[in-house]
Amino acid sequence: MAARSGSPASASEKKLSNFENELMAFSAENLQNNMKVTFYSRTFLSIIGGVVAGILGLTGLKGFILYFIIMAVGSLGVITKAKFDIHEYFDSWNRVILDGITGGLMSFVLFWTFAYDIVHIF
Amino acid sequence: MGVDLLLGVLGGVLLAYAAYCTIQYRAVLKIREEEFAGPPAEVLFEIFIGLALCFWAALRVPGKYLPILPDSKENRLVSLPENQDFMIFNHRGKVFPLDLDLKHES
Repeated sequence: MAARSGSPASASEKKLSNFENELMAFSAENLQNNMKVTFYSRTFLSIIGGVVAGILGLTGLKGFILYFIIMAVGSLGVITKAKFDIHEYFDSWNRVILDGITGGLMSFVLFWTFAYDIVHIF
Repeated sequence: MGVDLLLGVLGGVLLAYAAYCTIQYRAVLKIREEEFAGPPAEVLFEIFIGLALCFWAALRVPGKYLPILPDSKENRLVSLPENQDFMIFNHRGKVFPLDLDLKHES
C-alpha cells in the first residue's frame, strides 16, 4: 500500500516515494469522470467569456488576454473544487492547468464574434 | 444541482440584459455622434455579476470530482465489471420447479 506520510528515515522515505511512483494504480473511470467535468466547465467558461468579450467590444489582443484571464481563474476554480489536493482527483498538474485551453479557444472566438456582431454591428 | 443551474441561468440572463443595454447605449451614442469607449458603469457591473454567477455554475453544475486513489475514504467498495466468469449459476436454486407460465417482460 502506498503510504503518503509518516515515514521517519529519509532513505526509506525515498524508497517509498519511488514505490509510489511505480504504483500508479488509480481508478481510470473516475479520472475520466473528472476530466469530463473539467472539460464541461472549461467549455462553458469559454462560451461565457466569448459573450463577455463581445459585449465589452474588445478587439484583437485584448480579447485573447481576457480569454487567458478567464481560463486562469477557471483553473483556480478547478483547483479549489479539488480542495487543493490535486493528486486525489487527477494524475498530474498539467491536466488541471493546461488541458482544454486550445479547445476552448475556438468556442471563445466563435461566441466573441457572434456577440460582437450582435451588439456592435447589427 | 438545481440551485446552481438556476444561478447559471440567472447569470446568462444578466449577460443578455447587459448586451441589450449596450445595444441601446450604442444607439444613443450614434445619435450623439460619439465614439464607443466602453459600456456604462452599471452595465459593467451587471456583466461582472453575470460572469461571477456563470463561473459558480460552471464549476458546480457539471458534477462532482470522484477520488481516483484506491485507498481513499470514498472508494471503499471495489466494483468488478459484470463478468460472467465470476457468476455462479450452479446453486440450490435449481431445486425450484420450473414455471413454464412465466413470460419475459420487456
